[in-house]
Amino acid sequence: MELVFENIPFFLKGAYYTLYVTVISMFFAFIIGLLVAIARLKGPMWLRLIARFYVSIMRGTPLLVQLFVIYYGLVDYGVTLGSLTAACLGLSLNAGAFLSETFRGAIQAVPKGQMEAAYATGMTPAQAMRRIIFPQAVRIAIPPMGNTFIGMLKETSLVAAIGVTELLRSAQLLVSQYAVNMPFYLAIGVIYWIMSIGFSAILEQVERRLARAY
Amino acid sequence: MITTTGLTKRFQQNEVLTNIDLHVDAKDIVVLLGPSGSGKSTLLRCLNGLEELSGGQIEVNGIVVNSADPLRVQRARVLEIRRQTGMVFQQFNLYPHKTVLGNVMEGLVTVKKIKRDEAAERGRILLDRVGLSDKQDAYPSRLSGGQQQRVAIARALAMEPEVMLFDEPTSALDPELVGEVLSVMKELAEEGMTMLVVTHELKFARNVANKIVFMADGSIVEEASPQAFFEHPTQERTRRFLQQITEF
Repeated sequence: MELVFENIPFFLKGAYYTLYVTVISMFFAFIIGLLVAIARLKGPMWLRLIARFYVSIMRGTPLLVQLFVIYYGLVDYGVTLGSLTAACLGLSLNAGAFLSETFRGAIQAVPKGQMEAAYATGMTPAQAMRRIIFPQAVRIAIPPMGNTFIGMLKETSLVAAIGVTELLRSAQLLVSQYAVNMPFYLAIGVIYWIMSIGFSAILEQVERRLARAY
Repeated sequence: MITTTGLTKRFQQNEVLTNIDLHVDAKDIVVLLGPSGSGKSTLLRCLNGLEELSGGQIEVNGIVVNSADPLRVQRARVLEIRRQTGMVFQQFNLYPHKTVLGNVMEGLVTVKKIKRDEAAERGRILLDRVGLSDKQDAYPSRLSGGQQQRVAIARALAMEPEVMLFDEPTSALDPELVGEVLSVMKELAEEGMTMLVVTHELKFARNVANKIVFMADGSIVEEASPQAFFEHPTQERTRRFLQQITEF
Protein backbone atom coordinates (compact mmCIF):
# COMPACT_ATOMS: atom_id res chain seq x y z
CA MET A 1 0.00 0.00 0.00
CA GLU A 2 2.78 2.45 0.87
CA LEU A 3 4.25 1.66 -2.51
CA VAL A 4 1.13 3.03 -4.13
CA PHE A 5 1.13 6.22 -2.07
CA GLU A 6 4.82 6.76 -2.65
CA ASN A 7 4.23 6.64 -6.36
CA ILE A 8 1.13 8.79 -6.53
CA PRO A 9 2.82 11.51 -8.59
CA PHE A 10 3.76 8.84 -11.12
CA PHE A 11 0.16 7.60 -11.27
CA LEU A 12 -1.11 11.13 -11.64
CA LYS A 13 1.14 11.61 -14.60
CA GLY A 14 -0.25 8.42 -16.12
CA ALA A 15 -3.79 9.57 -15.39
CA TYR A 16 -2.98 12.86 -17.03
CA TYR A 17 -2.00 11.11 -20.25
CA THR A 18 -5.04 8.89 -20.11
CA LEU A 19 -7.25 11.93 -19.78
CA TYR A 20 -5.29 13.82 -22.39
CA VAL A 21 -5.68 11.06 -24.98
CA THR A 22 -9.35 10.62 -24.09
CA VAL A 23 -10.29 14.28 -24.31
CA ILE A 24 -8.39 14.98 -27.51
CA SER A 25 -9.79 11.86 -29.14
CA MET A 26 -13.30 12.66 -27.92
CA PHE A 27 -13.10 16.03 -29.57
CA PHE A 28 -11.96 14.71 -32.93
CA ALA A 29 -14.18 11.64 -32.75
CA PHE A 30 -17.15 13.96 -32.26
CA ILE A 31 -16.30 15.93 -35.39
CA ILE A 32 -15.51 12.82 -37.43
CA GLY A 33 -18.70 11.14 -36.23
CA LEU A 34 -20.81 14.12 -37.20
CA LEU A 35 -19.26 14.49 -40.64
CA VAL A 36 -19.50 10.78 -41.40
CA ALA A 37 -23.12 10.67 -40.22
CA ILE A 38 -24.01 13.57 -42.53
CA ALA A 39 -22.07 12.00 -45.38
CA ARG A 40 -23.99 8.77 -44.94
CA LEU A 41 -27.36 10.48 -44.77
CA LYS A 42 -27.05 13.35 -47.22
CA GLY A 43 -23.96 12.80 -49.29
CA PRO A 44 -23.74 11.71 -52.92
CA MET A 45 -23.63 7.98 -53.55
CA TRP A 46 -19.82 7.66 -53.79
CA LEU A 47 -19.34 9.52 -50.51
CA ARG A 48 -21.93 7.34 -48.80
CA LEU A 49 -20.09 4.25 -49.93
CA ILE A 50 -16.75 5.54 -48.68
CA ALA A 51 -18.29 6.49 -45.34
CA ARG A 52 -19.92 3.09 -45.02
CA PHE A 53 -16.67 1.35 -45.84
CA TYR A 54 -14.83 3.40 -43.24
CA VAL A 55 -17.37 2.59 -40.53
CA SER A 56 -17.33 -1.06 -41.47
CA ILE A 57 -13.54 -1.30 -41.21
CA MET A 58 -13.29 0.60 -37.96
CA ARG A 59 -16.00 -1.44 -36.32
CA GLY A 60 -14.88 -4.71 -37.78
CA THR A 61 -11.23 -4.70 -36.69
CA PRO A 62 -9.70 -4.57 -33.20
CA LEU A 63 -8.56 -1.17 -31.98
CA LEU A 64 -5.21 -2.68 -31.11
CA VAL A 65 -4.67 -3.71 -34.73
CA GLN A 66 -5.64 -0.22 -35.87
CA LEU A 67 -3.14 1.32 -33.48
CA PHE A 68 -0.38 -1.01 -34.70
CA VAL A 69 -1.16 -0.19 -38.31
CA ILE A 70 -0.96 3.52 -37.61
CA TYR A 71 2.07 3.47 -35.32
CA TYR A 72 4.21 0.63 -36.70
CA GLY A 73 2.70 -0.03 -40.12
CA LEU A 74 2.97 3.49 -41.48
CA VAL A 75 6.68 3.56 -40.71
CA ASP A 76 7.17 1.24 -43.68
CA TYR A 77 5.90 4.05 -45.88
CA GLY A 78 8.07 6.67 -44.27
CA VAL A 79 5.38 8.06 -42.00
CA THR A 80 6.65 8.13 -38.43
CA LEU A 81 4.20 9.39 -35.86
CA GLY A 82 4.91 10.06 -32.20
CA SER A 83 3.23 7.50 -29.96
CA LEU A 84 0.92 10.12 -28.47
CA THR A 85 -0.11 11.39 -31.91
CA ALA A 86 -0.67 7.87 -33.17
CA ALA A 87 -2.73 7.06 -30.10
CA CYS A 88 -4.99 10.08 -30.53
CA LEU A 89 -5.33 9.48 -34.25
CA GLY A 90 -6.24 5.82 -33.79
CA LEU A 91 -8.74 6.44 -31.04
CA SER A 92 -10.34 9.37 -32.89
CA LEU A 93 -10.80 7.35 -36.05
CA ASN A 94 -12.11 4.37 -34.13
CA ALA A 95 -14.55 6.21 -31.86
CA GLY A 96 -15.57 8.48 -34.74
CA ALA A 97 -16.91 5.46 -36.60
CA PHE A 98 -18.95 4.35 -33.60
CA LEU A 99 -20.22 7.85 -32.94
CA SER A 100 -21.24 8.29 -36.56
CA GLU A 101 -23.68 5.43 -36.09
CA THR A 102 -25.02 7.04 -32.95
CA PHE A 103 -25.45 10.38 -34.69
CA ARG A 104 -27.01 8.82 -37.75
CA GLY A 105 -29.61 7.12 -35.61
CA ALA A 106 -30.23 10.30 -33.63
CA ILE A 107 -30.70 12.43 -36.73
CA GLN A 108 -33.12 9.91 -38.14
CA ALA A 109 -34.99 9.84 -34.85
CA VAL A 110 -35.96 13.50 -35.16
CA PRO A 111 -39.52 13.50 -36.54
CA LYS A 112 -39.80 14.20 -40.27
CA GLY A 113 -42.18 17.05 -39.61
CA GLN A 114 -39.35 19.08 -38.06
CA MET A 115 -37.41 19.15 -41.30
CA GLU A 116 -40.59 19.98 -43.21
CA ALA A 117 -41.46 22.82 -40.88
CA ALA A 118 -37.97 24.23 -41.30
CA TYR A 119 -38.15 23.89 -45.08
CA ALA A 120 -41.59 25.49 -45.12
CA THR A 121 -40.18 28.65 -43.53
CA GLY A 122 -37.66 28.82 -46.36
CA MET A 123 -34.57 27.37 -44.69
CA THR A 124 -31.94 25.70 -46.84
CA PRO A 125 -31.14 22.07 -45.99
CA ALA A 126 -27.97 23.21 -44.22
CA GLN A 127 -29.81 25.80 -42.14
CA ALA A 128 -32.50 23.30 -41.21
CA MET A 129 -29.87 20.80 -40.15
CA ARG A 130 -27.93 23.28 -38.08
CA ARG A 131 -30.79 25.13 -36.43
CA ILE A 132 -33.52 22.51 -36.10
CA ILE A 133 -32.30 18.95 -36.53
CA PHE A 134 -28.91 18.95 -34.76
CA PRO A 135 -30.04 20.53 -31.52
CA GLN A 136 -32.70 17.85 -31.21
CA ALA A 137 -30.47 15.02 -32.42
CA VAL A 138 -27.78 15.89 -29.87
CA ARG A 139 -30.26 15.44 -27.04
CA ILE A 140 -31.15 12.01 -28.37
CA ALA A 141 -27.49 11.12 -28.87
CA ILE A 142 -26.20 12.10 -25.44
CA PRO A 143 -26.83 8.87 -23.51
CA PRO A 144 -25.26 6.57 -26.15
CA MET A 145 -22.52 9.14 -26.74
CA GLY A 146 -21.75 9.00 -23.02
CA ASN A 147 -21.36 5.25 -23.26
CA THR A 148 -18.91 5.62 -26.12
CA PHE A 149 -16.86 8.21 -24.23
CA ILE A 150 -16.67 6.14 -21.08
CA GLY A 151 -15.75 3.15 -23.19
CA MET A 152 -13.00 5.24 -24.75
CA LEU A 153 -11.61 6.25 -21.39
CA LYS A 154 -11.01 2.58 -20.67
CA GLU A 155 -9.85 1.67 -24.16
CA THR A 156 -7.05 4.19 -23.87
CA SER A 157 -5.31 1.45 -21.87
CA LEU A 158 -4.60 -0.18 -25.23
CA VAL A 159 -2.34 2.68 -26.28
CA ALA A 160 0.13 1.45 -23.66
CA ALA A 161 1.01 -1.09 -26.34
CA ILE A 162 2.42 1.63 -28.57
CA GLY A 163 4.42 3.17 -25.79
CA VAL A 164 2.26 5.93 -24.37
CA THR A 165 2.90 6.09 -20.64
CA GLU A 166 -0.71 6.39 -19.61
CA LEU A 167 -2.19 4.74 -16.55
CA LEU A 168 -1.78 1.11 -17.50
CA ARG A 169 1.80 1.53 -18.62
CA SER A 170 2.61 3.49 -15.46
CA ALA A 171 1.43 0.51 -13.48
CA GLN A 172 3.39 -1.91 -15.66
CA LEU A 173 6.55 0.11 -15.16
CA LEU A 174 6.06 0.15 -11.39
CA VAL A 175 5.34 -3.56 -11.37
CA SER A 176 8.60 -4.32 -13.08
CA GLN A 177 10.45 -1.94 -10.77
CA TYR A 178 9.09 -3.32 -7.47
CA ALA A 179 8.20 -6.89 -8.53
CA VAL A 180 4.73 -6.74 -6.94
CA ASN A 181 1.55 -6.76 -8.99
CA MET A 182 -1.65 -6.35 -7.07
CA PRO A 183 -1.37 -2.92 -5.43
CA PHE A 184 -0.47 -1.15 -8.64
CA TYR A 185 -3.12 -2.77 -10.80
CA LEU A 186 -5.75 -2.23 -8.12
CA ALA A 187 -4.66 1.37 -7.81
CA ILE A 188 -5.10 2.12 -11.49
CA GLY A 189 -8.41 0.25 -11.43
CA VAL A 190 -9.58 2.67 -8.78
CA ILE A 191 -8.28 5.65 -10.74
CA TYR A 192 -10.09 4.53 -13.91
CA TRP A 193 -13.23 4.05 -11.90
CA ILE A 194 -13.03 7.51 -10.35
CA MET A 195 -12.49 9.07 -13.77
CA SER A 196 -15.47 7.17 -15.21
CA ILE A 197 -17.65 8.44 -12.40
CA GLY A 198 -16.44 11.94 -13.13
CA PHE A 199 -17.36 11.61 -16.80
CA SER A 200 -20.77 10.20 -15.99
CA ALA A 201 -21.46 13.08 -13.65
CA ILE A 202 -20.53 15.63 -16.30
CA LEU A 203 -22.73 13.92 -18.89
CA GLU A 204 -25.61 13.79 -16.47
CA GLN A 205 -25.25 17.51 -15.92
CA VAL A 206 -25.29 18.20 -19.63
CA GLU A 207 -28.30 15.96 -20.12
CA ARG A 208 -30.20 17.67 -17.34
CA ARG A 209 -29.43 21.11 -18.70
CA LEU A 210 -30.62 20.17 -22.18
CA ALA A 211 -33.72 18.45 -20.87
CA ARG A 212 -34.80 21.66 -19.20
CA ALA A 213 -35.61 23.12 -22.58
CA TYR A 214 -38.46 20.74 -23.31
CA MET B 1 -51.41 33.78 -57.40
CA ILE B 2 -51.27 30.00 -57.72
CA THR B 3 -51.65 28.07 -60.94
CA THR B 4 -50.96 24.42 -61.49
CA THR B 5 -50.91 22.97 -64.98
CA GLY B 6 -51.14 19.26 -65.55
CA LEU B 7 -49.68 18.61 -62.11
CA THR B 8 -49.08 14.91 -61.60
CA LYS B 9 -47.59 13.14 -58.60
CA ARG B 10 -46.66 9.49 -58.32
CA PHE B 11 -45.26 7.54 -55.39
CA GLN B 12 -43.51 4.67 -57.13
CA GLN B 13 -46.25 3.12 -59.30
CA ASN B 14 -49.05 4.74 -57.40
CA GLU B 15 -50.45 7.88 -59.01
CA VAL B 16 -51.87 10.12 -56.30
CA LEU B 17 -52.42 13.28 -58.36
CA THR B 18 -53.49 13.20 -61.98
CA ASN B 19 -53.36 16.24 -64.23
CA ILE B 20 -54.37 18.83 -61.67
CA ASP B 21 -55.25 22.24 -63.11
CA LEU B 22 -55.92 24.52 -60.20
CA HIS B 23 -56.13 28.28 -60.11
CA VAL B 24 -56.14 30.47 -57.04
CA ASP B 25 -56.37 34.26 -57.26
CA ALA B 26 -54.90 36.70 -54.79
CA LYS B 27 -57.13 36.99 -51.70
CA ASP B 28 -58.98 33.81 -52.56
CA ILE B 29 -59.92 31.54 -49.71
CA VAL B 30 -59.95 28.10 -51.28
CA VAL B 31 -61.01 25.06 -49.30
CA LEU B 32 -59.96 21.65 -50.59
CA LEU B 33 -62.46 18.96 -49.69
CA GLY B 34 -62.50 15.28 -50.45
CA PRO B 35 -62.34 11.81 -48.96
CA SER B 36 -59.11 10.71 -47.37
CA GLY B 37 -56.58 9.51 -49.90
CA SER B 38 -57.96 11.85 -52.55
CA GLY B 39 -54.67 13.74 -52.80
CA LYS B 40 -55.59 17.04 -51.12
CA SER B 41 -52.62 17.10 -48.76
CA THR B 42 -50.25 15.92 -51.46
CA LEU B 43 -51.43 18.75 -53.71
CA LEU B 44 -50.76 21.25 -50.95
CA ARG B 45 -47.32 19.77 -50.32
CA CYS B 46 -46.45 19.92 -54.00
CA LEU B 47 -47.19 23.64 -53.95
CA ASN B 48 -44.29 24.41 -51.63
CA GLY B 49 -42.00 21.66 -52.76
CA LEU B 50 -42.35 19.27 -49.85
CA GLU B 51 -43.10 16.75 -52.58
CA GLU B 52 -41.23 16.68 -55.86
CA LEU B 53 -43.38 16.94 -58.97
CA SER B 54 -43.71 13.88 -61.18
CA GLY B 55 -45.17 15.86 -64.04
CA GLY B 56 -46.62 19.24 -64.96
CA GLN B 57 -45.92 22.67 -63.58
CA ILE B 58 -46.75 24.90 -60.65
CA GLU B 59 -46.62 28.65 -60.47
CA VAL B 60 -46.78 30.47 -57.16
CA ASN B 61 -46.64 34.25 -57.11
CA GLY B 62 -44.88 34.32 -60.46
CA ILE B 63 -42.29 31.67 -59.63
CA VAL B 64 -42.51 28.69 -61.94
CA VAL B 65 -41.40 25.15 -61.16
CA ASN B 66 -41.68 22.71 -64.02
CA SER B 67 -41.07 19.00 -63.53
CA ALA B 68 -38.99 19.05 -66.72
CA ASP B 69 -36.52 21.57 -65.27
CA PRO B 70 -33.23 20.21 -63.95
CA LEU B 71 -33.54 19.24 -60.30
CA ARG B 72 -31.09 21.96 -59.30
CA VAL B 73 -33.24 24.66 -60.90
CA GLN B 74 -36.37 23.22 -59.34
CA ARG B 75 -34.78 23.26 -55.89
CA ALA B 76 -33.74 26.90 -56.20
CA ARG B 77 -37.22 27.93 -57.31
CA VAL B 78 -38.87 25.87 -54.61
CA LEU B 79 -36.78 27.70 -52.03
CA GLU B 80 -38.06 31.02 -53.42
CA ILE B 81 -41.63 29.77 -53.29
CA ARG B 82 -41.23 28.62 -49.72
CA ARG B 83 -40.02 32.05 -48.73
CA GLN B 84 -43.28 33.51 -50.00
CA THR B 85 -45.64 30.91 -48.61
CA GLY B 86 -46.47 29.90 -45.08
CA MET B 87 -47.51 26.40 -44.15
CA VAL B 88 -49.44 25.08 -41.18
CA PHE B 89 -49.33 21.35 -40.52
CA GLN B 90 -51.77 18.91 -39.03
CA GLN B 91 -49.25 17.92 -36.36
CA PHE B 92 -48.15 21.56 -35.71
CA ASN B 93 -44.46 20.62 -36.00
CA LEU B 94 -43.33 23.30 -33.58
CA TYR B 95 -39.65 23.18 -32.68
CA PRO B 96 -39.67 21.50 -29.26
CA HIS B 97 -36.26 22.86 -28.28
CA LYS B 98 -37.29 26.47 -28.70
CA THR B 99 -39.69 28.64 -26.73
CA VAL B 100 -42.90 29.89 -28.25
CA LEU B 101 -41.25 33.18 -29.11
CA GLY B 102 -38.17 31.31 -30.33
CA ASN B 103 -40.35 29.34 -32.72
CA VAL B 104 -41.85 32.48 -34.19
CA MET B 105 -38.48 34.26 -34.43
CA GLU B 106 -36.54 31.38 -35.93
CA GLY B 107 -37.30 32.04 -39.59
CA LEU B 108 -36.79 35.77 -39.18
CA VAL B 109 -33.35 35.28 -37.69
CA THR B 110 -32.12 32.35 -39.78
CA VAL B 111 -33.73 33.00 -43.14
CA LYS B 112 -34.36 36.74 -43.20
CA LYS B 113 -31.24 37.60 -41.16
CA ILE B 114 -33.12 40.07 -39.00
CA LYS B 115 -31.47 41.10 -35.70
CA ARG B 116 -32.63 39.17 -32.69
CA ASP B 117 -34.24 42.02 -30.78
CA GLU B 118 -36.12 43.24 -33.81
CA ALA B 119 -37.24 39.68 -34.57
CA ALA B 120 -38.40 39.31 -30.97
CA GLU B 121 -40.35 42.53 -31.28
CA ARG B 122 -42.10 41.29 -34.41
CA GLY B 123 -42.63 37.89 -32.84
CA ARG B 124 -44.41 39.42 -29.86
CA ILE B 125 -46.75 41.37 -32.14
CA LEU B 126 -47.67 38.15 -33.94
CA LEU B 127 -48.18 36.23 -30.72
CA ASP B 128 -50.44 39.00 -29.56
CA ARG B 129 -52.39 38.65 -32.78
CA VAL B 130 -53.06 34.95 -32.14
CA GLY B 131 -53.80 35.68 -28.48
CA LEU B 132 -50.73 34.06 -26.94
CA SER B 133 -48.49 36.89 -25.84
CA ASP B 134 -48.54 35.55 -22.27
CA LYS B 135 -47.01 32.25 -23.44
CA GLN B 136 -43.94 33.61 -25.21
CA ASP B 137 -41.44 32.00 -22.85
CA ALA B 138 -43.18 28.64 -22.56
CA TYR B 139 -41.98 25.57 -24.44
CA PRO B 140 -44.41 24.00 -26.92
CA SER B 141 -44.83 20.86 -24.81
CA ARG B 142 -46.55 23.00 -22.15
CA LEU B 143 -49.22 24.21 -24.56
CA SER B 144 -52.56 22.72 -25.55
CA GLY B 145 -52.98 21.56 -29.12
CA GLY B 146 -55.01 24.61 -30.02
CA GLN B 147 -52.38 26.92 -28.57
CA GLN B 148 -49.62 25.06 -30.39
CA GLN B 149 -51.43 25.42 -33.67
CA ARG B 150 -51.90 29.13 -33.11
CA VAL B 151 -48.17 29.45 -32.46
CA ALA B 152 -47.58 27.56 -35.71
CA ILE B 153 -49.79 30.07 -37.52
CA ALA B 154 -47.87 32.96 -35.98
CA ARG B 155 -44.61 31.29 -36.98
CA ALA B 156 -45.78 31.05 -40.59
CA LEU B 157 -47.10 34.63 -40.61
CA ALA B 158 -43.80 35.96 -39.30
CA MET B 159 -42.26 35.36 -42.71
CA GLU B 160 -44.87 37.71 -44.24
CA PRO B 161 -46.06 35.16 -46.78
CA GLU B 162 -48.14 35.98 -49.82
CA VAL B 163 -50.03 32.72 -49.48
CA MET B 164 -50.89 30.54 -46.51
CA LEU B 165 -51.27 26.78 -46.91
CA PHE B 166 -53.18 24.92 -44.21
CA ASP B 167 -52.90 21.14 -44.16
CA GLU B 168 -55.74 19.86 -41.99
CA PRO B 169 -54.92 22.36 -39.25
CA THR B 170 -57.63 21.21 -36.86
CA SER B 171 -57.68 17.46 -37.50
CA ALA B 172 -55.34 16.63 -34.61
CA LEU B 173 -57.21 18.80 -32.11
CA ASP B 174 -59.73 17.94 -29.44
CA PRO B 175 -63.14 19.19 -30.56
CA GLU B 176 -63.31 22.00 -28.02
CA LEU B 177 -60.02 23.43 -29.27
CA VAL B 178 -60.96 23.57 -32.95
CA GLY B 179 -62.82 26.86 -32.64
CA GLU B 180 -59.87 28.94 -31.41
CA VAL B 181 -57.78 27.90 -34.40
CA LEU B 182 -60.57 28.43 -36.92
CA SER B 183 -61.29 31.89 -35.56
CA VAL B 184 -57.66 32.91 -36.04
CA MET B 185 -57.88 31.60 -39.60
CA LYS B 186 -61.11 33.46 -40.18
CA GLU B 187 -59.56 36.73 -39.03
CA LEU B 188 -56.68 36.11 -41.36
CA ALA B 189 -59.09 35.57 -44.24
CA GLU B 190 -60.89 38.79 -43.41
CA GLU B 191 -57.59 40.66 -43.54
CA GLY B 192 -57.24 39.59 -47.17
CA MET B 193 -54.69 36.76 -46.92
CA THR B 194 -54.67 34.31 -49.81
CA MET B 195 -55.39 30.93 -48.29
CA LEU B 196 -55.52 27.35 -49.44
CA VAL B 197 -57.02 25.11 -46.78
CA VAL B 198 -57.36 21.35 -46.60
CA THR B 199 -59.95 20.67 -43.94
CA HIS B 200 -62.96 18.65 -42.94
CA GLU B 201 -64.61 21.60 -41.21
CA LEU B 202 -67.64 22.11 -43.41
CA LYS B 203 -68.90 25.12 -41.51
CA PHE B 204 -65.61 26.87 -42.10
CA ALA B 205 -65.74 25.89 -45.77
CA ARG B 206 -69.27 27.24 -46.12
CA ASN B 207 -68.78 30.47 -44.20
CA VAL B 208 -65.22 31.54 -44.91
CA ALA B 209 -64.22 30.11 -48.29
CA ASN B 210 -65.09 31.79 -51.56
CA LYS B 211 -64.28 28.67 -53.54
CA ILE B 212 -64.54 24.97 -52.83
CA VAL B 213 -62.42 22.50 -54.73
CA PHE B 214 -63.62 18.94 -54.38
CA MET B 215 -61.11 16.17 -55.08
CA ALA B 216 -61.45 12.42 -55.36
CA ASP B 217 -58.96 9.78 -56.47
CA GLY B 218 -56.27 12.28 -57.34
CA SER B 219 -58.38 14.49 -59.57
CA ILE B 220 -60.40 17.64 -59.19
CA VAL B 221 -64.03 16.61 -59.50
CA GLU B 222 -65.80 19.89 -58.95
CA GLU B 223 -65.02 23.53 -58.30
CA ALA B 224 -67.71 25.87 -57.12
CA SER B 225 -68.69 28.65 -54.77
CA PRO B 226 -69.60 27.30 -51.32
CA GLN B 227 -73.27 27.95 -51.88
CA ALA B 228 -73.38 26.18 -55.21
CA PHE B 229 -71.20 23.38 -53.91
CA PHE B 230 -73.28 22.55 -50.87
CA GLU B 231 -76.71 23.24 -52.35
CA HIS B 232 -76.44 22.28 -56.01
CA PRO B 233 -73.49 19.95 -56.53
CA THR B 234 -73.32 19.02 -60.19
CA GLN B 235 -71.30 15.83 -59.91
CA GLU B 236 -72.57 12.48 -58.69
CA ARG B 237 -69.30 11.88 -56.81
CA THR B 238 -69.75 15.16 -54.92
CA ARG B 239 -73.30 14.32 -53.97
CA ARG B 240 -72.23 10.97 -52.62
CA PHE B 241 -69.45 12.60 -50.56
CA LEU B 242 -71.76 15.24 -49.12
CA GLN B 243 -74.32 12.59 -48.26
CA GLN B 244 -71.73 10.52 -46.44
CA ILE B 245 -70.40 13.34 -44.32
CA THR B 246 -73.77 14.84 -43.43
CA GLU B 247 -75.50 11.57 -42.62
CA PHE B 248 -75.30 11.92 -38.86
